[in-house]
Amino acid sequence: MKTRWFSDSEGRGRGLRRDRAEAPSGPLVELRDVSLRFVNYSDKMFTLKRAVLELLLRRDRPVPNSEFWALRDVNFRIEHGERIGIVGSNGAGKSTLLRMLARIYPPTTGTVTVRGTVAPLIEMGAGFNPELSGFDNILLNGAMLGFTRKQMLAKVDAIHEFTGLREFADLPLKYYSSGMYARLAFGVATSIDPEILLVDESLGVGDATFRAKATERIRGLMDRSHAVILVSHELSSLRDLCDRGLWMHKGRVVADGPIDEILDAYVESITNPAPVASPEPEPAPAEVIG
Amino acid sequence: MDVRNDPTAAEAVETFPAPPRVRPSRVWGRRLAEDRAELARFWPVVQNMVVQELRVRYQRSFMGFLWTLVNPLLMMFTLSVVFSTLMKMDKVGGDGGGSYTLYILAGMVPWTFLAGSIGEASTCIIQNEALIRKIYVPKLVFPLVRVLINLVTGLLSLAALFLLLLPIGARPSPAMLFLPVAVVLLFAFTLGLSLLVATANTFFRDCGHLVGIFIQAWYFATPIIYPTSQFEERAWLFWLNPAFYFVEMFHAVLYAGALPQLSIVAIAAALAAVSLGIGYAAFKANEDKMVFRL
Repeated sequence: MKTRWFSDSEGRGRGLRRDRAEAPSGPLVELRDVSLRFVNYSDKMFTLKRAVLELLLRRDRPVPNSEFWALRDVNFRIEHGERIGIVGSNGAGKSTLLRMLARIYPPTTGTVTVRGTVAPLIEMGAGFNPELSGFDNILLNGAMLGFTRKQMLAKVDAIHEFTGLREFADLPLKYYSSGMYARLAFGVATSIDPEILLVDESLGVGDATFRAKATERIRGLMDRSHAVILVSHELSSLRDLCDRGLWMHKGRVVADGPIDEILDAYVESITNPAPVASPEPEPAPAEVIG
Repeated sequence: MDVRNDPTAAEAVETFPAPPRVRPSRVWGRRLAEDRAELARFWPVVQNMVVQELRVRYQRSFMGFLWTLVNPLLMMFTLSVVFSTLMKMDKVGGDGGGSYTLYILAGMVPWTFLAGSIGEASTCIIQNEALIRKIYVPKLVFPLVRVLINLVTGLLSLAALFLLLLPIGARPSPAMLFLPVAVVLLFAFTLGLSLLVATANTFFRDCGHLVGIFIQAWYFATPIIYPTSQFEERAWLFWLNPAFYFVEMFHAVLYAGALPQLSIVAIAAALAAVSLGIGYAAFKANEDKMVFRL
């Protein structure tokens, strides 16, 4: 089994960007032959008894009766300065891919290399502790994103400014309304300056005014990031923001190219359900192994 | 176009449960180096989680953080009343030393740390499921946090014990300078077991139920509420109990006021190293698969 995970973001001064003018060396993100398999264990309990028996009897383990390849043979590299939009129908593996880049899922096979700090705008408010005050949560969440207390303290003011929650800073998070919660999460997540920005479509946060502010903030963040990977169903905003498109279908990358071409082909395939018009023949659906 | 359409690609067979295979030392060397860097980077998270947990625990109470000290004091007071008054066991035979109360307290502090850590570590990965599936945090952080929280509580209990030393008729001795060594060895031993239990329980949920019962049985098999001298010729059986060596170190220092025997310290150190080695290896070998089993 060849599964590797490389990241040299540790050496990069805890999320602080180095000089922007620095010449980039190699691609920021590189995926080689990456596949990811999910196995559903819950329907067939993998118990201690079974494990011990199998170990003792040296029996071949029965193939789990439901496994699912969320990603298959994904190959691509992202160079400095690229803005990538990922499209595809539900269940195509878009979010899984983002999570893999955020190091949440390790690849089953293949190698994933990420060079630089990653800001995951995937799940807002991950790591918030409802018992703690808003202020403490800012520090805790910042620490998880790789910032020291000192660096975070310097950002707290700007975060309060942006979210407009300064007067609630000492209130435990469990008394926040869900809108306030989302605003705080968004404010913290977007307060860091990443090298690689991962954005999932869930950008609709809070009321209309806040949403406008949020969109603006994300665009600012995208401008400052070295590479952006955006997953969205809003094709117009993808066309607007990205310069390269990635079309995924059933865990595979079926097309990769300039955003306009990819989106046109994607729209075409949606309107004419017949399997045509993709720049590359669509691969056979992932067959069940075993 | 950067796409490969080769469905025959690597059908890696996931070996499960992966026995802590002895892989080339280079791999483990790299893992250790990586972990050191990761833990250094995520140390603020560990710190934050430990402090916040302790703070939340006593958040709204009138005495606040003072409880961390008062709690063990009251606990020990109760224990000493129960054992010395009700059970009329005043003296432990053998090595002279202080009262029976002191004997119990000296054994109870390390045991509470050990048992508490293992019990909490067994569920730590499962309880942090929401976090693990949403954001990247090195998974070593979770058992480490549980053990550190128990360490803080344990050290405060130790401080409370020192406050009680004089009232229960003991005197501080120079041997107590050995205490930090004993604590470090116990910490390593406990961390190793915690990593092992955290790994096992993530893959086999049945373990969680067994751990509680096992700890209870282990508690009675360890000389904490009774002295070894009661067993006379069968006392060697305690040598089979790994916890015995650690508890005995604390007994020697706190109760007998003497340095523990060298053999006991040596065996404790060996056990700590083995436990930490196995625990770490088991945890790291399965770390990547944990997210799929939550």
